[in-house]
Amino acid sequence: MKGKKTDLLQGTLDLLVLKALAPKPLHGLGVSRRVEQITKGTFQVKPGSLFPALYRMEQAGWLASSWGESENNHRAEHYRLTKAGYRHLETETEDWQRTSRAIASVLQAI
Amino acid sequence: MPLMPRLVSLFRNLFRKDRAEQELIQELHAYLELMTEMKIKEGLKPDEARRAALIEMGGVEQVKERVREVMIGHYLETMWQDVRYGLRMLMKKAGFTATVVATLALGIGATTTIFSIVNGVLLRPLPYKDDARILTLWQSRTKSGVQREDVSPANFTDWAERLQSCEAIAMAEPFGHSMIGDGEPESFRSWVVSSGFFDILGVPALHGRTFLPEEYEPGRSQVVVLGYGLWQRRFGGDPNLVGQQLTLNGQPFTVVGVMPPQFQYPPGRELWAPRPPRENDRQIRGATYVKVIGRLKTDHAVEQAQAEIDSIARQMAQEYPQTNSNVGALILPIREYLVGHVRPALLIMFGAVCFVLMIACANVASLLLARAAERRREFAIRAALGAGQRRLLRQLLVESLLLASLGGGSGMLLSVLLIELIVTVNPGNLPHLDRVTFNGSVFVFAGVVSVLTAVISSLTPGLRIARPDLQETLRQEGHTTTFDRGRQRLRKFLVVAEVAIAMVLLVGAGLLVRSFVALLRVDPGFTTDRALTLEIQLGRIRAPEQRLAFMEQTLERLTQLPGVRTAGAASAVPFHDNQVMIPTAIAIEGRPQTLGQEPAAYVINVTPDYLGALGVPLLSGRTLTPFDRPDSSPVVVINQTLAELHWQTTDPLGKRITFQTFGRTVTCEIVGVVGAVLPSGLDSQPRPEVFLPYAQSPAGGMTYFVRTGSDPANMLEAVKGRIREVNPNQTFSSIATVEQMVDRTTSQRRFNLLLLGIFAGLALVLACVGLYGLISFTTAQRTHEIGIRIALGAERRDVLKLIIGQGIGLTLIGVATGVVVAFGLTRLMGSLLFGVSATDPLTFALIALLLTTIALLACYIPARRALKVDPLVALRYE
Repeated sequence: MKGKKTDLLQGTLDLLVLKALAPKPLHGLGVSRRVEQITKGTFQVKPGSLFPALYRMEQAGWLASSWGESENNHRAEHYRLTKAGYRHLETETEDWQRTSRAIASVLQAI
Repeated sequence: MPLMPRLVSLFRNLFRKDRAEQELIQELHAYLELMTEMKIKEGLKPDEARRAALIEMGGVEQVKERVREVMIGHYLETMWQDVRYGLRMLMKKAGFTATVVATLALGIGATTTIFSIVNGVLLRPLPYKDDARILTLWQSRTKSGVQREDVSPANFTDWAERLQSCEAIAMAEPFGHSMIGDGEPESFRSWVVSSGFFDILGVPALHGRTFLPEEYEPGRSQVVVLGYGLWQRRFGGDPNLVGQQLTLNGQPFTVVGVMPPQFQYPPGRELWAPRPPRENDRQIRGATYVKVIGRLKTDHAVEQAQAEIDSIARQMAQEYPQTNSNVGALILPIREYLVGHVRPALLIMFGAVCFVLMIACANVASLLLARAAERRREFAIRAALGAGQRRLLRQLLVESLLLASLGGGSGMLLSVLLIELIVTVNPGNLPHLDRVTFNGSVFVFAGVVSVLTAVISSLTPGLRIARPDLQETLRQEGHTTTFDRGRQRLRKFLVVAEVAIAMVLLVGAGLLVRSFVALLRVDPGFTTDRALTLEIQLGRIRAPEQRLAFMEQTLERLTQLPGVRTAGAASAVPFHDNQVMIPTAIAIEGRPQTLGQEPAAYVINVTPDYLGALGVPLLSGRTLTPFDRPDSSPVVVINQTLAELHWQTTDPLGKRITFQTFGRTVTCEIVGVVGAVLPSGLDSQPRPEVFLPYAQSPAGGMTYFVRTGSDPANMLEAVKGRIREVNPNQTFSSIATVEQMVDRTTSQRRFNLLLLGIFAGLALVLACVGLYGLISFTTAQRTHEIGIRIALGAERRDVLKLIIGQGIGLTLIGVATGVVVAFGLTRLMGSLLFGVSATDPLTFALIALLLTTIALLACYIPARRALKVDPLVALRYE
């Protein structure tokens, strides 16, 4: 649903950001647009949630940042996944899938 | 990298929040720009696009806030990690940590304790209102060099009328009130004070009130104010005492108030009564016995007041040439009067304890340097794993702050205990000791000292290891650490500094020891063991014959008491703490008088056996006897000081002197010369004295001097009992054995000696520990080398010489430096010394020898251990 602001669990947000950055590095706005894209508009990440998350994940070592040029020659901070970040993405994805399968089976059983 | 730029970059690294903030702002602006561009592409106008972008962002400030929160949260989390890591590290090396904490605790505890004394006695404001404006006024003698003495009532009256710089001025006269009533009759020493006294000091009564203006008028003045101590001790803190009547000096007096515990002016007495003006106040100009205080007018300065009173004194010298021709005036702010005399000693003690702290710091730094060597690998690995230099330095800072809190905390606990101890014992009769507590300022001081100490001690080693040369360090195998020349040099420097400081303190203590020994060897001029003194007031017995009868009867009973060898009494006894003695001018027959330079002496009324009981030697002529009656020819005995002053070549016996006593002029013949005694302490000087037979001049206040065969304290009740046989209501004051009196005069010196001795001892121990630590360490490092030497045929002697030689070298440099520094510093101690000069070569030499010997021992022990090493093991030691 376009325009609906949904509360995101912190872990979920991390997962989405990691997934968004997996293919190639992006700057801040690029990340939020990509997240919107891959969730087909379900989740819109506002800067108020995005930047704290980016800072945190950078401190944890999953992202690395550098100043670079975006399209239209604007300078912006670009983020990319580190090796540790890729590993974290794998483990988080497995965990998530396991959790959702478990919940799905509980819901079906009722 | 040199120290200063390193410190600067350290600061910049630790507080990099600003830079992070800047980066965030730039990032958000970039985001905003990109978003705006997107909107423009979608067809909005530029400013609409920007506004829409801002709304979608949710506001730049809010975003910044949220990122900031996460940043702080992260910082705190890593900080907490550092703390936990630091604690773990400290626990792992518990022995090491304990040593460091103990050393810090000792240094910080001692320093804090002395600071609290300095704070309580010297720094805190006095309990009197606006005490900087309260002045004490004194007379001085321009010719004889007496700097300050009490004032005479007539001079006070004139000063009060003429002095403009003070808005109020009042006097306090020493007095006595004897109380008879329920319980034991007791004589209280008291002050009678003139109008305005309490207002100048500005302290309200704790219970009740101070005197009303009308109570200073004759006939209305039978009221008293009690001191807190007296109220507690004698009246049990009875809250209903105010308003009740006491029988003092035979008259009913109403208690109108009780003062709070900190009100103690003038010091030493705890009862105040009003002193209405007397008729003869304007006549008594030569006798000086009142204490004067005044309150400075606002926006007047002390110097103005001093200048003004100087000119008033000069005027009065013209107006009253007989008495005031060499009388000047001195104004001291009240704080100066009350605590000025202990300031030099206290400041010296504070300096000494700071030295001890420096040694403790040096030891801690040395220990941390040694430890730093071990931790190089640890830090190199952490750096290789990605910890920034900022993080490593922060880790070190956290650890040093942990040490600071542990060491400082224990130090504060220690000082609380020590303060408690000192206040209870009050070993040196320090003034205002009750105001010494562990309060806010002391706590702040301790905190600052702890942090500074820990940071300085750990910064130097820390800075060296936080920038490890990774490759070099990681490549090393096993546990050997590089023999870092720089670090070794620093530790050697520290040890030399410690030895030098210890030397300075030991010399100071040595000088004090010699002073004390010299003091105790001084002959006071009379025998000081096994004697008892008690003071009585005969004021109520007016007639001279009755007074004489009283004294004769009491002395007769005392002499008959088993256990009493001799007994006498005098109006002033040496070393007595309440001597109010003023010199009397004497005229020597046949010698002309020069105005302002009359010979003077202290006139003391004595009973016949007194001089014998005191134990002064008779040098010529005869002593006083019971045959010197009121109607026989007037005679006196003089002491050697007076004889030498005026009769160097001739014989004083037979000469006559004229002087005033109790308002009468008498001319007496000198019949004997006795040895001089020291009047007020082992470091006082003998003064000219004239002994007048009591029969010929019965004074109202006499002190019994009872020489006993055994312990005088046991005889006290018996002595009192015998005297009470003559007057059952007799009250006594100032009861002490002569030994106690002598002790009292040396108590402050003893305290100084104790303190400085403790500090010097601490310094010595710490310095030796430092030396021992360094020598052990270097010896352990050179085990390999020693093994080779022994294998190649070196004798035990040679190896010993090698190791000890190193230690002795450092010690000698330290001792030499210490001697030089001590030479400069000990002259500051001048006021504390007695009978020995500040640069006494014997003391310096002995202490140097002592220190070198003990240091030798400290080096010898590790050296012996090194020798026990099996050369084969040493050779294999990596």
